Amino acid sequence: MSAFRGRVAIVGFGEVPTGKFPDRPCLESALEACREVILDSGIKKEEIDTIIPTGTFFDRRYNTDMVFSKLVEELGLLRIAKNNFQVFAGGSSSSVMLKTACGLITAGLAKVILCVQSDKVGSSPTQQMIDLFATFGIPDEWETPYGFFMAGSGSMFATRYMYETGTTSEQLASVVVSNRKWAALNPNAMLRREVTVEEILNSKMVATPFTTKEGNVLADGGAAFIITSKERAKDLPNPPIYPLGFGGRVCHYSVAQHADMTRMGFYEASQEAYEMAGIGPKDVDIAELYDGYPIYPLITLEGLGICKRGEAGAFVQEGNTWPGGKMPMTTNGGMLGQGHTAAGGGVAILVEAIRQLMGKAGQRQVKDAKIAVESSMGGTFMDSHVVILGREVP
Amino acid sequence: MKEYGKPLPKPTPWSKPFWDGCKRHELLIQNCRDCQKPIFYPKMFCPHCLSKNLEWMKASGRGVIYSYTIVSSYAPTEFSNDTPYIVAIINLKEGVRMMSNITGCPIDKVKCDMDVEVVFDDISEEITLPKFKLISPVC
Repeated sequence: MSAFRGRVAIVGFGEVPTGKFPDRPCLESALEACREVILDSGIKKEEIDTIIPTGTFFDRRYNTDMVFSKLVEELGLLRIAKNNFQVFAGGSSSSVMLKTACGLITAGLAKVILCVQSDKVGSSPTQQMIDLFATFGIPDEWETPYGFFMAGSGSMFATRYMYETGTTSEQLASVVVSNRKWAALNPNAMLRREVTVEEILNSKMVATPFTTKEGNVLADGGAAFIITSKERAKDLPNPPIYPLGFGGRVCHYSVAQHADMTRMGFYEASQEAYEMAGIGPKDVDIAELYDGYPIYPLITLEGLGICKRGEAGAFVQEGNTWPGGKMPMTTNGGMLGQGHTAAGGGVAILVEAIRQLMGKAGQRQVKDAKIAVESSMGGTFMDSHVVILGREVP
Repeated sequence: MKEYGKPLPKPTPWSKPFWDGCKRHELLIQNCRDCQKPIFYPKMFCPHCLSKNLEWMKASGRGVIYSYTIVSSYAPTEFSNDTPYIVAIINLKEGVRMMSNITGCPIDKVKCDMDVEVVFDDISEEITLPKFKLISPVC
């Protein structure tokens, strides 16, 4: 069994609403999320010895401020904090921040860790952000000259997946339907109106098979969570949430080099995480899956063994992942519903897993949720991460 | 030659032979002399065994479409007049993958696993892009 298992607990979360807030400085999102998580956790702020701000895309200067301890100063932790450093893997920053934090706590190198994310990709100059996301992670020598761009990467995975499994456009669109149903219940979400399969398929085609409504929407946001030892978690107000297992595979830098676009790294990552956690797919109560584009939750559901190969599309189409369904999925609405705050898209999904397990998800609370799976991907969906969290240590 | 106006690849010291090959209308890939594995895109050293003992070999220029997307709108600015266009990932016979465009074909005829062969598009004095066309006569 891994050393961290049962010795580390998540004790609080904070999140500001996701959306387009031109007048809300990015620093405000970060500070509000930090303040909220500290109050939520019941931890005295002076106990925080390590601050991990993940990376930010909208402004290099702001990112440097985060690396150079701006938050430590704002939180009044000068000469108290022992470490401030960045852990950043794009969209999978959620999983790798938590993984890093677990290691530090287990090794005795930190006692209380604050992980925080904030970004402002929704209300920064539109063309600048489009160009940024059009080129990031796309090899300029091997892919850009052919007119490839970020939005095309989800489409490449989807085309091959549909070809091999017979999954239909309607089934892919139903992932958006599912996520938007959850977003409708989430006061922090940006897109709170439900949509239909017809509406999605009739909207403007971007890159086959995906239309505008199957792409994520860039947004501003911020979220945070606190990790400490099981001992310290004992007398805190929230039920401690235990990281039980981690799995990950880095599968490409250049999309064209991804060996199996229909499985990605999720089969290996899931197996690794399940073995570490000592559970299997039947034990999972909620699947908080990274979306970005509708193809990825389908591949992830299959990698996790929740669905058989090629059956995830029908599973979602039948309503199994909706509110009230047997496998609630991405219950904050994901990037297709809550909004895409760059690295924060993943952090928001992890925070939602914590929120659900703590029983604090309000209108969208899944009853008796004990085990949650969180998945994430960074870059042009370069890596596949699986994290298993539990209310108890099985 | 008329102004091309789209992003051009910037060859590196180790990829230059590839682009020089394209200019001669030859598709070259690297081969590791130590572990005998084919390599694309061009690397400084073999990603399999880290050897720098690499050679260039002429590829057949034939392969199959692994996956593709038809870009219809919201394309990168420089490509906005080209929509709809096909970006595809090609499995070359030699066992390596490359991204390219499928050209000269009705857009709705393209499917995964179709056979394709390389064609060369001389886009500037310096750069020739390898693109692909369908081999079967659906076009």
